[in-house]
Amino acid sequence: MQILMSGLIFGCIYGLTALGLVLIYKTTDIVNFAQGEMAMVTTFVSFVFLSNFGFGYIPSLLLALIFAAIFGIAIHQIVMKRVQSAPPLNQIVVTLGLFMILNGMAGLIWGHKPTSYPQAVKGDSIKLGSVFITPNELFILCITFFLMLIFFLLFRFTRVGLAMRASAQDIKASQLMGIKVTSVFTATWAVGAILGGVAGIMTAPITFLDTQMMFEVLIMAFAAAVIGGFVSLPGAVIGGLFIGVFENLIAFYISPEMKLVYTFLLIILVLYIRPQGIFGGKQTLKKV
Amino acid sequence: MILMLKQLGNKRIALGILIVCMLFYPFSVGYSSYFLTLFVITCIYVITSLSLNLLVGYGGQISVGQAGFLSVGSYSVAILSTKLGLPFLVVLPLAGIITALIGLLIGLPAVRLKGHFLAVATLGFGLSVPQIALKWDKLTGGFSGLSVTPSSLFASETQLFYFFVFLTVLIIWLINNIVKSSIGRAFIAIRDSEVAAQAIGINLSFYKTTMFVISSFFTGIAGGIYGYWVGFVSPNDFVITNSFLILAMIVVGGLASIPGSIIGALLFSIIPHFTDSYVGITNIVIGVAVVLIILFKPKGMVSMFNFKRNKSEKTKKNELLLKEEGNRGVNI
Amino acid sequence: MLTFNDVTVQFGGLTAVDNLSFEVPEGSIYSIIGPNGAGKTTVFNCISRFYTPAKGSIKFCGDEITKYKPHQIINIGIARSFQNVELFSKMTVLENLLTGLHPKLRKNIFAISLNLPTVKRSEEDSRKKAFEVMELLKITHLADEQVSNLSFGFQKMVDIGRAIMADPKLILLDEPVAGMNPIETEKISQLILNLKNEMNYTVLLIEHDMSLVMKVSDAVTVMNFGKKISEGTPKDIQNDPVVIEAYLGEVNLHAEVK
Ligand SMILES: Nc1ncnc2c1ncn2[C@@H]1O[C@H](COP(=O)(O)OP(=O)(O)OP(=O)(O)O)[C@@H](O)[C@H]1O
Ligand SMILES: [Mg+2]
Repeated sequence: MQILMSGLIFGCIYGLTALGLVLIYKTTDIVNFAQGEMAMVTTFVSFVFLSNFGFGYIPSLLLALIFAAIFGIAIHQIVMKRVQSAPPLNQIVVTLGLFMILNGMAGLIWGHKPTSYPQAVKGDSIKLGSVFITPNELFILCITFFLMLIFFLLFRFTRVGLAMRASAQDIKASQLMGIKVTSVFTATWAVGAILGGVAGIMTAPITFLDTQMMFEVLIMAFAAAVIGGFVSLPGAVIGGLFIGVFENLIAFYISPEMKLVYTFLLIILVLYIRPQGIFGGKQTLKKV
Repeated sequence: MILMLKQLGNKRIALGILIVCMLFYPFSVGYSSYFLTLFVITCIYVITSLSLNLLVGYGGQISVGQAGFLSVGSYSVAILSTKLGLPFLVVLPLAGIITALIGLLIGLPAVRLKGHFLAVATLGFGLSVPQIALKWDKLTGGFSGLSVTPSSLFASETQLFYFFVFLTVLIIWLINNIVKSSIGRAFIAIRDSEVAAQAIGINLSFYKTTMFVISSFFTGIAGGIYGYWVGFVSPNDFVITNSFLILAMIVVGGLASIPGSIIGALLFSIIPHFTDSYVGITNIVIGVAVVLIILFKPKGMVSMFNFKRNKSEKTKKNELLLKEEGNRGVNI
Repeated sequence: MLTFNDVTVQFGGLTAVDNLSFEVPEGSIYSIIGPNGAGKTTVFNCISRFYTPAKGSIKFCGDEITKYKPHQIINIGIARSFQNVELFSKMTVLENLLTGLHPKLRKNIFAISLNLPTVKRSEEDSRKKAFEVMELLKITHLADEQVSNLSFGFQKMVDIGRAIMADPKLILLDEPVAGMNPIETEKISQLILNLKNEMNYTVLLIEHDMSLVMKVSDAVTVMNFGKKISEGTPKDIQNDPVVIEAYLGEVNLHAEVK
């Protein structure tokens, strides 16, 4: 039970990161390999607010998320907008380039030494039935579900959400309907960056704050997204939770170092059986 | 025709100059071990980026984990030479073959995947290899790595250097032959239209797997060269950023282009030499180069060079001609 | 030579081909016509094995072909061209044609990577063959042109040329003259007749250009909404009221849309 619980905690983080990935992919058709590094930068920024300016946790969090939104917008406007219609390989490579730039810059500015990052809520673990849970973990669970709720409401019931869904369906048609696709994409990148940022800020207290903190999270988020079929938003979250639990089970019963390898085998297996992922729709035949 | 001959001549001359330069390289750097190593590392990346270009540029299959194959190659050399005591001339080809088998294992499921799914799967592979090397310490020496027993065939470092340079040139030639052949055309066909490729009798899964096998074979040899040259392998030699780097090489140099892969490999092997004082800077420089090239020269650096430009001018002229012809046709 | 027997193809709820039966005799030019969306290309895609019929059998020279994979179809002697040309866009015309020889070329990786004389020789032979085909299509001057630079008409020719390269017994042509001017159309109609008379191919043709169909066909099947609505010689078809109605219906439809 305890293993399942801590798996779910990690799962939330993976789910949030995967949600950002899938949102960006679904709407703009770009797989963002820099998602983790963007989250890492946001986390560092929040740390600057926390420790250098001495703000409280919540103000720092909010300021950092505002930064994340601006950051996402900037990345889309400066770089990604220009490769919107490029071949997928070019898009992937650009995001890898961003990955390297962000990683290098963060190293330059903040150094490579891991720092500890304060937890959102301090306190001793609470006993819930047969499992122990720290208030911080509880906080992660709550904020994840809270965010997802907001996010789905946003996506379902607001105009921006509607525009995003429309653009995801058919760019040309949306343009004809008067949707400003570019602005929608910019908004998508902002939301994606925020989701990533939250995931990063949740990750930092558990691991440490350093430039590599999001590597593994990104991989696991990819695994989650793949399991979710890369186009399903609930699929991403469920995939994240699943990967979190799976990984913890592997770490416990086999070996912590091998969790990456087994997760990789799991994705390969899933994709071999269902090349479009579990929640991906039916594969369509190309018309000739 | 004359133009073609001239180009061919130019190419021959360029090749000649290049080979002479390579022969004199050790003299010109005063047999400095550092510069010899820099050159051999460049050779390794030339081979690897060519192999990756075969897969990505020609075959259209994205791979974000090529460094995993380098690791497999270098570990194969270490294990075979040190643990089994096999001789150099057996070990090096065997490293290629072992890596090719791993490539086959990866290729089999990968042929069913497209685009980003393939990217994620290969990424997972690239990440897993160092982890496995760490964990499987009985075989790989785990964290502390494994040394490679040097070959007794070569009396000096310079001899080994020349052998590896020769091997690199040989592999460039082999890969060039492959991409120009019916097999190479089948790869390009799959990249450009899977439907038409099947209609002309190309078995998609067979050829996609073949791409992975050929690509990993040569990359395994490159990994082997690394093992023998450095004399020591560890899990941190080829990590996922190396995979990104190799991918960046072919995109920046030029996809589906042999000179492109070589230019990219040269560039990105030499950049760290100048920015070595700080790892972060290397990443930034490479990242910026990648982004700029994709934004402004999406066909890669090779498209900036003269012989390609001539050709594209020619095509433009023809295009005009064709349009004229088309117009006339309609008028009649 | 090619026999369709009660073939039905469905996409979700849509029945694209409905209980279709017909037979293409060896050595003939057989045409399939019908309004847009009638299911003609779908028939080709079944023969190419891109689609699998929900029901029915397709026999080629007595051999059930639904058991084959798409890439094996060329080996039993069926080649095709595509409605919206599926060329290898970054290759030159010559290279595109060379790919058509794929099943015939030896593919020994060791010989190829060492560029042995046998490989060079077979490459030389294939180029010769490619130039013959280009001559036939009168596109020799475009040999080294990248196909994406060509007009649609020339691209169609290359597409057809690639199918001819494999020396098939049956060749499927999907709207070969779409996008061509009258001169090119005339050239292609000569070529189709040539394929039958001199090269002994059987031709299965989809075409909207009625004058071409009437001129070259030995027999015609008319499809509408996936069903065969008429069959016979070009003359019979021209006078069949059902066919006229199907096409008129389409005209009316267009008129309404406008
Ligand atoms: N892969 C597919 N998925 C879903 N529907 C398809 C697919 N391929 C064809 N269809 C549908 O089947 C029907 C028949 O299409 P088909 O392409 O065979 O028509 P056609 O007779 O070739 O028309 P045209 O003259 O316009 O080429 C159409 O309604 C088409 O939308
Ligand atoms: Mg059609």
